[in-house]
Amino acid sequence: MQQASRLDLLQGTLDLLILRTLQSGQALHGWAISERIQQISQDVLRVNQGSLYPALHRLEHQGWIRAEWGVSELGRRARFYCLTASGRRQLNVETQNWGRLTAAIGRVLEMA
Amino acid sequence: MNWNELLLRIRALILRKRVEQELDEELQFHLEMEARKNAAAGVREGEAALLARIRFGGFQQVKEECRAIRGTQLIETVLQDIRYALKSFRRSPTFMLTVVGTIALGLGLNTALFTIFNAYVLRPLSVRDPYSLYSFTWIDRAGEGHAFSWREFESFRKDKPAFTETVAVQFLYAHVNGHPLMGELVTGNYFQVLGGSVALGRTLLPTDCSAPGREAVIVLSYRAWQDKFGGDPNVVGKKLWLHGYPLEVVGVAKQGFNGVGDVPREYWAPITMASQLEDGPDLFGPDHPNAMSWILGRLKPGSSVSQAKAALTGWSQQMTADLADSEKATGVILQSRATAISVTPEAVAFFSPIAAAFGLVLLLACANVANMMLARAMARQREIGIRLSLGAGRRRLIRQLLTESILLAIPAGLAGFVISQATVQLSLRLMFATMPSDFAEFITTLPMPADARVFVFMLAASLVSAVLFGLAPAIQATRNNVMLAARGEFTTDVRPARLRNMLVVGQITASVLLLICSGVLIRGADRMRNFAIGFRTHGVIIMGIGEKLRTSVIARLRSEPMVEMVAAAGSTPLNGMLPSVSVSTAAGETVPSAWYNHVSPEYFSLLEIPILRGRNFTGDEARSRAPLAIISEATARRLWPNADAVGQEIRIQHDPHTNWGEQLPQHAAVRVIGVARDIVTCSIPWGKDPSLLYFPITPASARSSLLIRVKGNVEPTCRRLDAELAVMAPGAVEEIHPLDQYFAGGIYPFRAASWVGSALGGLALVLTLSGIYGVLSYLVTQRSKEIGIRIALGATTRGVTRLVLQQSMRLATMGIGLGAMLSLGVSRLLGSHLVFMNTFDLLAYGGGVLLVASACLAAAYFPSRRAARINPIETLRYD
Repeated sequence: MQQASRLDLLQGTLDLLILRTLQSGQALHGWAISERIQQISQDVLRVNQGSLYPALHRLEHQGWIRAEWGVSELGRRARFYCLTASGRRQLNVETQNWGRLTAAIGRVLEMA
Repeated sequence: MNWNELLLRIRALILRKRVEQELDEELQFHLEMEARKNAAAGVREGEAALLARIRFGGFQQVKEECRAIRGTQLIETVLQDIRYALKSFRRSPTFMLTVVGTIALGLGLNTALFTIFNAYVLRPLSVRDPYSLYSFTWIDRAGEGHAFSWREFESFRKDKPAFTETVAVQFLYAHVNGHPLMGELVTGNYFQVLGGSVALGRTLLPTDCSAPGREAVIVLSYRAWQDKFGGDPNVVGKKLWLHGYPLEVVGVAKQGFNGVGDVPREYWAPITMASQLEDGPDLFGPDHPNAMSWILGRLKPGSSVSQAKAALTGWSQQMTADLADSEKATGVILQSRATAISVTPEAVAFFSPIAAAFGLVLLLACANVANMMLARAMARQREIGIRLSLGAGRRRLIRQLLTESILLAIPAGLAGFVISQATVQLSLRLMFATMPSDFAEFITTLPMPADARVFVFMLAASLVSAVLFGLAPAIQATRNNVMLAARGEFTTDVRPARLRNMLVVGQITASVLLLICSGVLIRGADRMRNFAIGFRTHGVIIMGIGEKLRTSVIARLRSEPMVEMVAAAGSTPLNGMLPSVSVSTAAGETVPSAWYNHVSPEYFSLLEIPILRGRNFTGDEARSRAPLAIISEATARRLWPNADAVGQEIRIQHDPHTNWGEQLPQHAAVRVIGVARDIVTCSIPWGKDPSLLYFPITPASARSSLLIRVKGNVEPTCRRLDAELAVMAPGAVEEIHPLDQYFAGGIYPFRAASWVGSALGGLALVLTLSGIYGVLSYLVTQRSKEIGIRIALGATTRGVTRLVLQQSMRLATMGIGLGAMLSLGVSRLLGSHLVFMNTFDLLAYGGGVLLVASACLAAAYFPSRRAARINPIETLRYD
């Protein structure tokens, strides 16, 4: 099965991916965000759609992303998310953290 | 929480429906997009949507998770509970009104009591910075407080051991224009220290106290100006005769300024006028009279009470170092004067039994409502059981039931507030209406506003009672076994019966307790009223007069045709005060504090006190103040248990604590010439004087009050004499009352207490009655199936009635027994303080028990009749 080669997301990385996806400045709706993550990761990362929306709402409550109703490419009403200024700062912090984390894990794995 | 989040939350709260809709729309959109993608990948139409849903996971769970993020769930469920409760109230308005009414009554009474307590004990006085105000005195070995002399006060003011500002205060009662005036002689800085200003004229100033005998001025309180001088706008500049001395009114204090203390002060005059006003030794002369009843001051900023106490103790010991051991200071009393009554152990001891009695009524009301709620919760058990088996959390259900209680408590609190205000006003009015008229003139009350503290109390009390009457039923009702509920059995749980029975027993106990105690009080007050005090009060006027015009007043009285007889007494009877000395016989018998009085020979015949053995004083003996004494029977028994007292000698030793206003015995040894029958001189509640010595004086002797026996009706004569003497000798009459009024005034507090007690007891009885009725009615309904079967099996009407009655009587017996036992304890306590309270008053106990027992029977009767009328066929068909 194809699905066996996909990885479930690590706990807490979904937020980072959502923020990164929105960095381009283009407003996206939830489904597009999950598709985008999947595409860019070349189908390796599978977004658990059930946890996507709670994550989006949480980020919105934290003020890192902003939601607005707009018209989707198919002419239907959809909720579009875009990054806020504080979201951009948060993305920087989290990207750095992620870099430090993976570097550290990499080093441990090499040493062992 | 940042602003963004707050805004989102508020939006979620206000636009709840819209936010929900949006969430649904967003998720639906996602599913659609996913389905479309699946379809594009070649999945069949129906399967594409299904696959999307599967990939999405639990749709409702996701929604629930998103809702949780909004952080408004708590508020939303509370709102939901409130809506639900309101809906159920609308279905049963009678239930709701009964609950609200019952709790409102209990809350109202307690809030009324708290309003009074607040006015006296909690509310700061309307003076500048009340919390730094303290009064100070030192105490000696015997624990007696000290009244300061002017010299002592001056060194205190100079040394400043603990206070930054210091005021000397002496309470002085006066009789002005036919009205009593309670005021104070104070140092000139009084108004500055307390931050008192005036509505008219000026305050007292330090210059008013610059020298002895200066200035003859007086400042009236706003209330005295309004009530006793008719709010005369030209009062400033007028002369008032105080104790026969004219003082010029220089100002009226601003409204609300009542000085420091529990009795609102009505005037202030310079303390430098003390000698003029009191006919006493010169405050500034060589006698150094102890005149300052207390020293008031402001604690040094930053100094703690214990530091101040240490400093004051050091100072006091230094001041008394040269005195005799019995007069050396051993400690100090430093008392906060922020409120009218300081929170002392005595104040707490006075208020706590009253608060307990009132609190008991509130508890009864709560028990009643708890019972009603319980019955209601049981009736709703089917609904609660279904909700439990459908997965509702027990916690959630309890919260919902508690929300109902709180929703009931809020209107009850508001209604209670209205009741409390009405109660306070009504009881003040009733108090003044039922009080002896002359007595009422002396009573001034503090304002009793419903301030923030009263509101907080009411709110807290309503919430506490909501939890009291709501929590237990809620816990009980949700204890339902889900398994049983699922099978449709909702009424097999028998445990609530225990709680209900406990509540009913508690109610019966409390009402028995309240009724018996008020019975004991009523009987005590009654016994007091009918008690032979040993002399005749009727037709006698008591008059206090100043010394300057004494001879002319006596001459005027003797020439008055309505006056039959004039006598004099150092202490007037029933005044609550008698000085004491230590007396001993040659044989060594000693009475360490024997009361004494100075009386003129006419005293005995005027009050109709028989001299049982020996003889009365002669006129000559009285004029020369011969070393003779007449003693009371009780004193004779104590000093000479086996011999005749007449002709014996008594040795007398002064008590150093005697107020300088009292006459001291003139001789170190006196001979007993007569034995008089025992009477009550001091105070009725204390009974006949345990010991009393009479020494001779004449009406002309200084510091004695007059007793006047008049012909005919005493009240108009009393008023006429007062008016005539005010013209003839202004300010000479310091006090004038019919003796009957003293008597009535002395027992009034006990009558009032017994009325309050009976009112509480009656209310408790009504609550208990309705409580028992409610519980039994409910039990009958609950047991109707069982009773129906019994009737079907041949039980008689009488048998069924007995079944129900028996159940209630079991509870009644338990409650009555407990209540009677508790009453024994309480009335013992009453009896230990008051002579007239009979701990084992059979009538009070019998009456209380009988009343409650018959009330229980009556309350049980109707439900039992209903039980007997149960139609077995109908009830058996019911399920």
